[in-house]
Amino acid sequence: MRSKLLQLLTSTDSFISGQEISNILGISRTAVWKHIEELRKNGYELEALPRKGYRLLRTPNLASADEIKAQLTTKRIGQNIVYKKAVASTQETAHEQARNGAPEGTIVVADEQLAGKGRLGRNWYSPPGSGLWSSLILRPDIPPHKAPQLTLLTAVAVVEGIREVTGLGSQIKWPNDILLHGKKTAGILTEMQSDPDRIQAVIIGVGMNVNQEAFPEELAETATSLRIEAGGTVYSRAELIAAMLKRFEHWYDHYLMNGFPEIRERWEALTVTIGKEITATTLTKTIKGYAEGITEDGVLILKKSDGTLEHIYSADITL
Amino acid sequence: MFKVNEIKELIRAVDKSGIGELEIRGENKEKLTIKKEVSAAATVSTGEPKETAPAPQPSAPLPAASAEPKEEAPAPVSKENDTAADETLHKITSPMVGTFYRSPSPEADPYVKEGDKVSEETIVCIVEAMKLMNELEAETSGEIVEILVENGELVEYGQPLFLVK
Repeated sequence: MRSKLLQLLTSTDSFISGQEISNILGISRTAVWKHIEELRKNGYELEALPRKGYRLLRTPNLASADEIKAQLTTKRIGQNIVYKKAVASTQETAHEQARNGAPEGTIVVADEQLAGKGRLGRNWYSPPGSGLWSSLILRPDIPPHKAPQLTLLTAVAVVEGIREVTGLGSQIKWPNDILLHGKKTAGILTEMQSDPDRIQAVIIGVGMNVNQEAFPEELAETATSLRIEAGGTVYSRAELIAAMLKRFEHWYDHYLMNGFPEIRERWEALTVTIGKEITATTLTKTIKGYAEGITEDGVLILKKSDGTLEHIYSADITL
Repeated sequence: MFKVNEIKELIRAVDKSGIGELEIRGENKEKLTIKKEVSAAATVSTGEPKETAPAPQPSAPLPAASAEPKEEAPAPVSKENDTAADETLHKITSPMVGTFYRSPSPEADPYVKEGDKVSEETIVCIVEAMKLMNELEAETSGEIVEILVENGELVEYGQPLFLVK
């Protein structure tokens, strides 16, 4: 039934009403609606207008292993791709992979993440085909307390990858939120499996809003996508992942050889946080101050009004 | 001032004796009191000498120095441990500087509470720095007897977070 519906939708560039579809296929309007929703879940983008009906805009833009591989020019980072249609979260899958011995450079990519779905509310759905959800497994031979530097390194790679594919100049909010025109377009969350003195695995999750056309009201003020900021251009997620991994490998190799200093400089050149009065909100307190810079470990240095310095390790930053 | 070994020896002596309380003064008049509860548990408390005027001579120890025995004295000793607590308890320490979280999210229940049994792979807390979340495993098995850090507090590299027995 769904393939017939697809045939019908692809046979024309104009709208076809729900009633027409219902008549042609001999199914109820409710059944038509259900099939349309199912197509959307599979990555088909459909425009729906009252009194006009449905129109197919786009077939899925997949970021499957084959499509990523076709674009990938790295030596090891991303060479082992675990692609899933839907997962609870790519971090969770990557943790399992890491525990089962997945090699450094393994990347888990999913078309859809189910966890967190409820939090976003019923009227908003992140359709498969719109975002880039990935988790990269690393096994660096560095002391565990150095690992947070990798999260700033990743932010640099994401900004450079976005610029390479889209030409858009995104910026970093400490430590690693990626902003376009002040709105969040990508986020990075890193988790570590470690012994007291040795890293088992560092798992870097990158979530990027790529082809969303709009965000629900409660997010619209703070979130954006590459597509929105580029005035409607749809981007290939496979190309974005490949570009990001290429930049990551460049900086990661540099880091393992030469350490953090040059990455810190690059990070400082791309950030919006430094040189401003900001507010840092932690679990226990709110600190206002002038963001002087970051330490050689990536820790944010705040100068408070009384002249004293405060080192910030974890906080939500508001500019 | 009292040395840790001296205090330990005194605790043992009091524990085995028939007396319920011992109070002595050291070279700088610092006071050491060892009390035994009815249950035979011994507790230790030390304090600054009350009568001593604040450092009259330049050569006298600074006021802070007289408080030092407090830090050196072992934590309250329970009846099962007639040697110092610190030696028999395993410490779970932080592998990095960062923010200590007792639960995966502010609304969630803590990973562990005092009295909980843990095994090597039990996750006991998260330490976060620069949005890197490090889930710490107990790396030992036993019972959490004390949580040494408050939720949301900044912890140092190597700082003890939990005591496990």
